[in-house]
Amino acid sequence: MWDYLRLEVRRTLRDTGFVIGGIAMPVLMYLLFTNIGDDDGSWRTASMVGMAAYGAVGSALNTGGGVAEDRSLGWLRQLRATPMTSRQVVIGRALTGAVTVLPAICAVLLAGGLVNGVRLAAWQWAATALLLWLASIPFTLLGLGNGYGLTAQTTGVVNMVCNLGLAVLGGLWFPVALFPHWLRAVSAYTPTNRVSQLGVAVAGGHAPTAGAVAVLTVWLLAFGSYAVLAYRRNAGSI
Amino acid sequence: MAADGVAGGGRAARAVSFTRAVKSYGAVRAVAGMNLEIGRGETVALLGRNGAGKSTAISLLLGLAEPDAGTVELFGGPPERAVRAGLVGAMLQEARAVTRVTVRELVAFVAGRYPDPLPLGEVLELAGIGELAGRRVDRLSGGQTQRVRFAVALAGNPSLLVLDEPTAALDVEARRAFWESMRAYARGGRTVLFSTHYLEEADVHADRIVVLDRGRIVADGTGERLRHSAGGALVAFDLAGRGTAGLELLPGVRSVEVRGDRARLRTDDSDATVIALAGLGAIRGLEVAPASLDDAFLALTTGPTAHATDPTAHATGPTAQTTDPTADPADPTAPATDPAAQAREGETV
Repeated sequence: MWDYLRLEVRRTLRDTGFVIGGIAMPVLMYLLFTNIGDDDGSWRTASMVGMAAYGAVGSALNTGGGVAEDRSLGWLRQLRATPMTSRQVVIGRALTGAVTVLPAICAVLLAGGLVNGVRLAAWQWAATALLLWLASIPFTLLGLGNGYGLTAQTTGVVNMVCNLGLAVLGGLWFPVALFPHWLRAVSAYTPTNRVSQLGVAVAGGHAPTAGAVAVLTVWLLAFGSYAVLAYRRNAGSI
Repeated sequence: MAADGVAGGGRAARAVSFTRAVKSYGAVRAVAGMNLEIGRGETVALLGRNGAGKSTAISLLLGLAEPDAGTVELFGGPPERAVRAGLVGAMLQEARAVTRVTVRELVAFVAGRYPDPLPLGEVLELAGIGELAGRRVDRLSGGQTQRVRFAVALAGNPSLLVLDEPTAALDVEARRAFWESMRAYARGGRTVLFSTHYLEEADVHADRIVVLDRGRIVADGTGERLRHSAGGALVAFDLAGRGTAGLELLPGVRSVEVRGDRARLRTDDSDATVIALAGLGAIRGLEVAPASLDDAFLALTTGPTAHATDPTAHATGPTAQTTDPTADPADPTAPATDPAAQAREGETV
C-alpha cells in the first residue's frame, strides 16, 4: 500500500494541471486579492487561510479525478488482477489525497508569511496548517465519491463545480461580510466556510468553535457515506 | 468446497476449471454454460470472433466478474484466492497506457505486489522494452504500450499467464518477438491462456485451441484435430448445369456449398467422394485440397442460428447458399466437444 501511495503521489505531482490549478493558482490569487485596494491587514490573514483552504479543497477533489481517470484507463481493473486487495487500493487513494493537499496549504501559508508579512506564533502556523489538513479529509471523500461514481469527464466537471461553488459560497475568495444576509446564512452551513472559520480562529489565537467542528463532522459523515455508496455501486464494474 | 490453501490441497488441481459457467449481461448470454479444464503447463488459445465471449470468459477466470451460475476455479480454489496469492498475471484487452509513470516505475510497482517476482531486468528484456525503461508509458506508441502491458502481466512471475488479445496492436516483427517471449515464458512449466481471433496464431503458438462461439465452446483440441473435425478435405468441381441434388449423399461428404457454377464438397474421405463423382460423370475442373483451419473455424462457428442473431455472420457470406447436413444442432460440434456439454447445449438453446 505504501508503494501504491508513493506511486500515486508521484503521478499526481507530475500532473501539470494539478500543479498549476491546485498549487500555483491559490498562491497567485492570494497575492493578487490581498495586494489590490486598501487593506487593514486582517484580510491578509483571513485570505491566506481561505486560499490555503481553496487549494486544499481543489487538491483533495483532484484525488477523485485521478480515480476516475484510472478507471477509464483500465488501471484499477489491472490492479484487481494483481495480489493487491480493493481495500488497499481505496485506502491508498485516500492517503494520496491526504498527502497531495499539503503542497497547496504550505505554499499559500509560505506566501502569507514571506511575501505578505503575516506574523503568527510558531504554534499558530503549525496549528493552522494541521487544521486545514484535517479539514481537507471530507473533500477527499467527496472527490473519491465522484471518482468512483461518475465517468472521467463528468468527474472533472462535477469536481470543478464543487470546488468553485464551495469556495465562493464558503467565503474562501471574498469575505462573507460582503454577502447579502440570506447568502451569509447559507454560507454558514457550507464545509468550506467552516474550514476557513477554524483556520482564522487559530490564526487569531482563539480555540476552534464548536459550531465549526460540528458542521464539519456532519459533512465528513455525509461525504464519507457518499464515497462508500459510490464505491459499492461501481466496484463490480471496475 | 474444500478449504485447503491454494498451495496445499490445490497442488494437484487443474490450473483452470470452468464448470457449467454462465454469465449474462442483460439479455446477452456472454458465456452460456462453459465447461473447460486446463492443466498446468498447457498453452491454450481461446479462439473466437469478436463478441464470442472470450473477454467475458477471461473476466470470470480472473475473478473480475462472478458467474451467474456454475463455478470457475483456479488452482482448485476461487479465482480471487489465486489472484491474491500471486499465481496469476494478466494482460487485459481494454487497458490503456497508465499516465505519468515511467516504464520502470510501473513494472517495478506491479512486480512488488507479488511474493516471488522476476528480476526487473529480466522482465523488461523478455517483453523487449529494456531500452524504454526510463520513458513515460503514456508517451509510447501503441505497440510499445502493448509490450509494457505484457511486462506488467509477466512481472510477478505468475504460474498462470492470461493474455486477452495480446497481439492486437503489434506489427509483424513485434508479433514474432512477442510470441517468442511468450513461448520462453511458457517453457518454465507455466500455464498460458491467450485469446485471439487470428487462426494462425492459435494454430502455431498453442498446444490446444478452444473455439468459442456465442458463449459456448464449440471445439477443443489441436489445430490438426479441428481441421479434421471440419471435414478433412475440400473437393471442388464445375457443375456445368447439373443440379446439386444428391451430392450431400455421396460417400464422405459432410456439406455442399455452391459458388456460381462450382460445387465445393467438404468431405471426410476425398478418395471415396472423387470415385463417386467419377461414377456420376461429374468430374470437370476437379480440385482436391486439404481443409484449412479457416474452413474448420467457419464450419464450427456458423451454426444455423448465426444468421439470425449474430451481426458478424456476414463474414460467412458464401455459406448462406450452403445446403448443410450439419444443420442438425447436435451435429456440427460433435467430433470435438464432450458429450456432457452437448447434452447441456440441447437444453440451453
